[in-house]
Amino acid sequence: MGMPVTVSGVDADAAAIVFAWLRRVDGLFSTYRPDSEVCRLDRGELAVGDADPLVREVLERCERLRIETGGYFDARASGRLDPSGLVKGWAVDRAAALLEARGARRFCVSAGGDLVVRGGPWRVGVRHPRRRRRLAAALTVSDAAVATSGAYERGQHVLDPHTRRPARGARSVTVVGPDLGTADAYATAAFAMGAAGPAWTAGFDGYEAMTVIGVRVLSTPGFARLCGGSVSAGLRPSPAWRSPTRAGCPA
Amino acid sequence: MRRALPVLVVTVVAVVLLAGFDTEPPVTLNPNSALRPIATPRAIERPSATPAPPGSKTGTGPVVATPFSVIQVRATLTDGRLTGVETIALSGDGPHTEALNARAEPILREEALRAGSADIDVVSGATSTSESWIESLRAAIRAARRG
Repeated sequence: MGMPVTVSGVDADAAAIVFAWLRRVDGLFSTYRPDSEVCRLDRGELAVGDADPLVREVLERCERLRIETGGYFDARASGRLDPSGLVKGWAVDRAAALLEARGARRFCVSAGGDLVVRGGPWRVGVRHPRRRRRLAAALTVSDAAVATSGAYERGQHVLDPHTRRPARGARSVTVVGPDLGTADAYATAAFAMGAAGPAWTAGFDGYEAMTVIGVRVLSTPGFARLCGGSVSAGLRPSPAWRSPTRAGCPA
Repeated sequence: MRRALPVLVVTVVAVVLLAGFDTEPPVTLNPNSALRPIATPRAIERPSATPAPPGSKTGTGPVVATPFSVIQVRATLTDGRLTGVETIALSGDGPHTEALNARAEPILREEALRAGSADIDVVSGATSTSESWIESLRAAIRAARRG
């Protein structure tokens, strides 16, 4: 999937099962491999009815998301079939289920900064959008998924096409909830909405969010509670966070 | 007359502000949802907001659709080095933003962004923006090199 995946809290055999699963996902869903089922579906060489049940499951969920979002989420928005926006979170959710089926009770699977924790409590830091070695928030969660969408590149401006000025867009959006596929999709959507994102996150059901806009943090009351009352409640003003110990290897 | 002039200016400004005020309430299907159907992508042809320094070249990447927005990236090269990147959002923010934020304001908590540290087990946060954005940026850089 082209991103670092780390698994912590399980033995090497269990981690190997996760990476084998992710390789299988890549083989089915990669938009870079011409022989993947997604690419064959896109070229019309494979009928949806003949596709792997996993592919059909993801495509059906993409379709539900498309309807739920009034056409905003569309796996064919680019003109080609690309369900990648859902696949990463979905694959990590499924990886967590595989580990639980093996009896694992306390573990974490993180794919490119989007993660699932089981058991707990886990202390999850939210990367500061501008200062890479600092945190903007620290959550305490159990049995949860946390996804963050952000633009960290310096000099990037999102222009509002109506005003021709940089939109007062978000620097990062973090969503926490039970399912990583959904949390990831919500974080991406809220980030893309720019200044309208925080208002949208206030209507979530079962998910909580924090949005960094400029030097402000807007969070849902539930998100603030998970941080100890306010998003910065769990932070110390010390210079840098200690890099957490991780087990695992790149997928 | 000296006193009348500032008053006149203030009045003109007030009239202009009133004229620009949208009296129509925003219409959305779900009052809690800021989602709107995707806008028809259209390429923006306009001079850059900040004039490029002499000796620099600008290139624009293709229109790229992400699951939630349609974007285009413009890159500026000066003496072969990347000196500026703009992301042009072709869909995303809309006129309902202010009304939605006003509605959400009593619900959301606001505080100042702080940078700190904590004893944590794991970090959430993307290490890069979406592949679509990077793809568009690469194309913009190629276009700038050609131009």
